Amino acid sequence: MKGAMLLQVQSLVKEFGGLVANADISLEVRRREIMGLIGPNGAGKTTLFNCIVGYYKPTGGKVSFEGEDITGWPAHRVARMGIARTFQNLKIMPLLTVEENIMVGAFCRTSDRGIAIREAQEILELVDLAREAHVIPTELPIASQKKIELARALATKPKLLMLDELAAGLNPLETKEIIETLHRIKEERNLTLFLTEHVMEFIMTISERLIVMAAGRKIAEGRPEEVAKDGRVIEAYLGERYAEGR
Amino acid sequence: MSQLLNDIFSFGDRPFSERIVLIVFSVVALTFPWLVESAYARAVMIKFLLIALFGLGWNLIGGYGGQVDLGQAKNVGFGAYATALMILHWHTPFWLTVPVGIFFATLESFAVAYPMFRLRGHYFAIATLCVALAWKELFIFWDWTGGARGVEIPIRPTPDFTFMEFGEVGYHYFIFGLFMAQFLFMNWFRKSKLGYQLQALRDNEDAAASLGINVTGTKVIAYCITAGLGAMGGSFMTVYYLYIDPDLVMPLDLSILIAMTVMVGGAGSIWGPMIGAAALIPLDMYLGAWLAGGGHYGIDFMIYGLIIMIIAAYEPKGIWGVIERVTKRG
Repeated sequence: MKGAMLLQVQSLVKEFGGLVANADISLEVRRREIMGLIGPNGAGKTTLFNCIVGYYKPTGGKVSFEGEDITGWPAHRVARMGIARTFQNLKIMPLLTVEENIMVGAFCRTSDRGIAIREAQEILELVDLAREAHVIPTELPIASQKKIELARALATKPKLLMLDELAAGLNPLETKEIIETLHRIKEERNLTLFLTEHVMEFIMTISERLIVMAAGRKIAEGRPEEVAKDGRVIEAYLGERYAEGR
Repeated sequence: MSQLLNDIFSFGDRPFSERIVLIVFSVVALTFPWLVESAYARAVMIKFLLIALFGLGWNLIGGYGGQVDLGQAKNVGFGAYATALMILHWHTPFWLTVPVGIFFATLESFAVAYPMFRLRGHYFAIATLCVALAWKELFIFWDWTGGARGVEIPIRPTPDFTFMEFGEVGYHYFIFGLFMAQFLFMNWFRKSKLGYQLQALRDNEDAAASLGINVTGTKVIAYCITAGLGAMGGSFMTVYYLYIDPDLVMPLDLSILIAMTVMVGGAGSIWGPMIGAAALIPLDMYLGAWLAGGGHYGIDFMIYGLIIMIIAAYEPKGIWGVIERVTKRG
């Protein structure tokens, strides 16, 4: 399967009891693009991510990756298929060193400890963390911990990297640095990126295409500058009256 | 091959001092029967090695996997009964009974593991405890296994390698050899793929799954390996005591002692089981005997409990955690 489409979501629905978190979401992510997903708090972005990577079972709809139906697959199988993700609130292994955290990712593709170590060192170099290799991750600042999550996901050799609020909590300088890192790893590793974000400068700068969600629905899709002018998007973010007054 | 040897013999952050400790420990253990005449002291040493050995196996699921299993005695019992019954009924050589015990323990663990790992934390601990107690009751009421009367293994008149009977000194060396083999195996295991995957899911199950780790499957495999190691120790314990009954090899006390040894010493550390057994076993056997000799039954349990409470409250990583903190400061 070498089509242009990497990830395809068709009419995905996710309900929690009576609450509809995702209603009829369809989207496509193309090979080697950077796709952004934005929306106000509670729009259902993380739920959508979790449905795609197998943390939640969708109530309805279909998710396919490289043409294969992966709807409802458990998370570890999705990871082995080639979708890696980072978490909105960091989930680092606190009793392992930085290098070991990344080795666990590398063990997704190899059983050889030597290869896993080499792979981890290479990736640490790539995300500029080589000096912290033998440190306990919780002793590092948040920006470095985010890079560890990124590096760990990268070590599983994914085709699609899904980043959930990677820039949240970072200062402008750190945000700029992580954008550079993302561009670098995307080129070097031939990746497709799919990211959600609250920080507007970040997602507007980095995304090639953008999807906007509000109240569980997809309300707009397009290039960042088009989406920014869309009435429905402005309404979702700033309220109805502001949109009418323009 | 050289990579494998390196993985087996290299330790953590202080490879040099840890190797020295291991060599000193080996020298002490090897010369012990020559230097110490007292039969009681030798018995304490063997009990220490046995409990440390059980601790090493339990550390796999309990320390590296973070799953508090309070039923390891059932696996010790499977090994012990496989050995005792096969020797008694069919005169099977000891060495052939060991794999049989491992087989049954692993099989039983595989069968119960999947439903049990649907539970987490305290509920998992309770489930393991219940399964172990159920097996003990079964062995008490089962005639073929000798019921509550237990099984006695005939004593051989001359030292016998086939049935592993050659007195206390010979046994000391065998159990030490087994301990070292398992210690080095665990040192390799914790750095293997499965070892790292197990530690990853202990630290964070969601993160582990996102890295392609089958969380339940990995737990089941670790639980089965732990069971096999427990059964192996149980077989060796049987030829030392030459008599077993359910209260001796399958009690709740033993399950808890094994778990406690590792937690006091340092769960998830290669040295934890050894340190824990060194702290608890002599204390138990000397203090208990001394106090009971003066008519003060039960005071040793109070001291025991106090030590465990202090460690649980101040250093969740056990005595090894204290050592790590002190040496890092220095």
